[in-house]
Amino acid sequence: MCRILAYLGDPLPVHRLLYETDNGLVHQSHSPRMMNKFLNLAGFGMKAWDPASLHPQEPFSYQATTLPSYDRNLRSISSKLGSTCLVAHVRGVTYSSESAVAETNLHPFQFAGAGVALAHNGHLRQFGRMRYALIDHVRPELAQRIEGTTDSEWIYALVLSQLDDPFGRPPAAELAEATLAALRVLRQLRAEHGIDTSSPVNLCLSTGEALVATRVSFDYGWYPPDDEMLETDLPFVSLWYAIGGEYVSRDGDWQMTAADPVRSLLIASEPLTEDLSGWLEVPEYSMLTAELTPAGLAFGTRDLDV
Amino acid sequence: MSDAATVDFLAALPLFEGFDRAGLERLAGVVRRRRVRADQVLWRQGEGAREMFFVLDGAVAEILGLPGGRTREVGRASAGETLGEVELLDGVGHPTEARAASDATLLSLGRLGFTDLLAGQEASVFAFRRHLAELFTTRLRAELGLVSEALGGEIAGPTGDDAVHTFSELEERPAPDSAYVRRMASFHGVDPLALWGFLTSGRYVYCPQGRVLLAEGAPPPAYYLTINGAVEKVLVRGHRRVRVGLAGPGRAFGGEALIDGLPSPLTAVARERSLLLVIPAEIFERLFHGEDAVSRVFLEVVLRDLASVVREALRPYARVLLAT
Repeated sequence: MCRILAYLGDPLPVHRLLYETDNGLVHQSHSPRMMNKFLNLAGFGMKAWDPASLHPQEPFSYQATTLPSYDRNLRSISSKLGSTCLVAHVRGVTYSSESAVAETNLHPFQFAGAGVALAHNGHLRQFGRMRYALIDHVRPELAQRIEGTTDSEWIYALVLSQLDDPFGRPPAAELAEATLAALRVLRQLRAEHGIDTSSPVNLCLSTGEALVATRVSFDYGWYPPDDEMLETDLPFVSLWYAIGGEYVSRDGDWQMTAADPVRSLLIASEPLTEDLSGWLEVPEYSMLTAELTPAGLAFGTRDLDV
Repeated sequence: MSDAATVDFLAALPLFEGFDRAGLERLAGVVRRRRVRADQVLWRQGEGAREMFFVLDGAVAEILGLPGGRTREVGRASAGETLGEVELLDGVGHPTEARAASDATLLSLGRLGFTDLLAGQEASVFAFRRHLAELFTTRLRAELGLVSEALGGEIAGPTGDDAVHTFSELEERPAPDSAYVRRMASFHGVDPLALWGFLTSGRYVYCPQGRVLLAEGAPPPAYYLTINGAVEKVLVRGHRRVRVGLAGPGRAFGGEALIDGLPSPLTAVARERSLLLVIPAEIFERLFHGEDAVSRVFLEVVLRDLASVVREALRPYARVLLAT
């Protein structure tokens, strides 16, 4: 289990989203409100696009396996970053010696030279049984860049492989189609390998200007009798969003201001505030797409049937 | 207000129909009278629940906050009505803000007093649980009415002819592993023997993906509980289709209409292949109105599920409002 945070819109201090609200992403690493018993202690990562920076198409990257609450570097850096797009992630893994806590397993994933980054909340169950069947669907130049042990990095390589140019910066529509195609490949391979245990695949992908997020589970609600994830998966692989003008504090309450057209979008595994009134839940089997345009933020939702 | 007047007020509330005079007097000793001014906020959306209210006079509006600082009134409790009982039952934060719509007099019942009402094996406790289920059902229908109104258009989608009529249409399966079922959040903390009594009251069936199990406007043949898989609950209006709930493992559907005897307020379709516990209407009736350990667990499960459903139904409403 993990927590995802994504933002697209007017420039916003990254520190605000990580630290300043009462349930910011760093708070969710040790005290998530919508998870049953898992914490997200296996590392932090973020990609932050800053149009005022050098090479603005490339995000600022930060990843560390240390706990973000105690990470002074992260606190300092995030207070200096004003970002138009952010994808951040705190990683949670099962409390098992089989889990590997390592920098190579930290999200968001972004291969050198690629324009798309991906973070994942969820897990493909029995992934080891299908891992090497994926090789037929992943371009060799991408497969050789996989460094870690996670299912998420393979999903990332699989999505990139569906793009015309895996190292380009696709618009939201193309990125959405590539994501759908990747999910269909996963469903097919799961079926071919007889894998039918509930496997959530909440993804967040971004190029800095386009953003795609999914909330979907393969074989939703199917668990073997002795599976501990039954108590953990379903209500807790949640996804929420807030959309409007600007994410600001008014009288101590953080909220997205109203705007028409909308200019900013926040997506998070759980709302950044205890007050849910500014947040909408993304339903299961859904995809959100967003793109920065000269006229504002183009935003869409769709039902996923994969 | 004298103690006797408080008792008389409580006695007139449907929630306490099963209580005798002594029980009502004990309750009157626990509630606190509170006077509020128009526009006074009783609680904010998302705040932890500490108390529920009975409205003696005046009115309290239930206000749903929406993105961009917008708000929408989604309910109003007037004299003789209640608010806040769902949150006291499920222990999750308030789904709406409560704001006095006028100067009002309220009776406040705290969490401890509410929990006491649910404890015990007396007939009045069973009656209280049943009345709570009826109240939750009324709330759910009101919320679905809001979604429907926001969607506009005529009821469309599957009809009663498309839905399952007899359970022989579905493939019967053996009961699931009891340890698996006990780990579902819906069944935490309940008497395992009585739970098993409830779980063996019906039949287990396999339902293929896409099968219509309930049709909005048609009478439901049974109460369903999802063991594996997922069943989506939808409203269809013209070409618009909105999911108002998803019944995954441990979650139920079909109970609302069996509780109040009205047609199903929604359509239920298997989103995934699903293993379901089917409790036919006549067995539901027996369990719902029974007063033994099995009925107690059954009522607990029904109440927990309804509380979640009531809470979740406001989420699609907010999305529909934002989209329109």
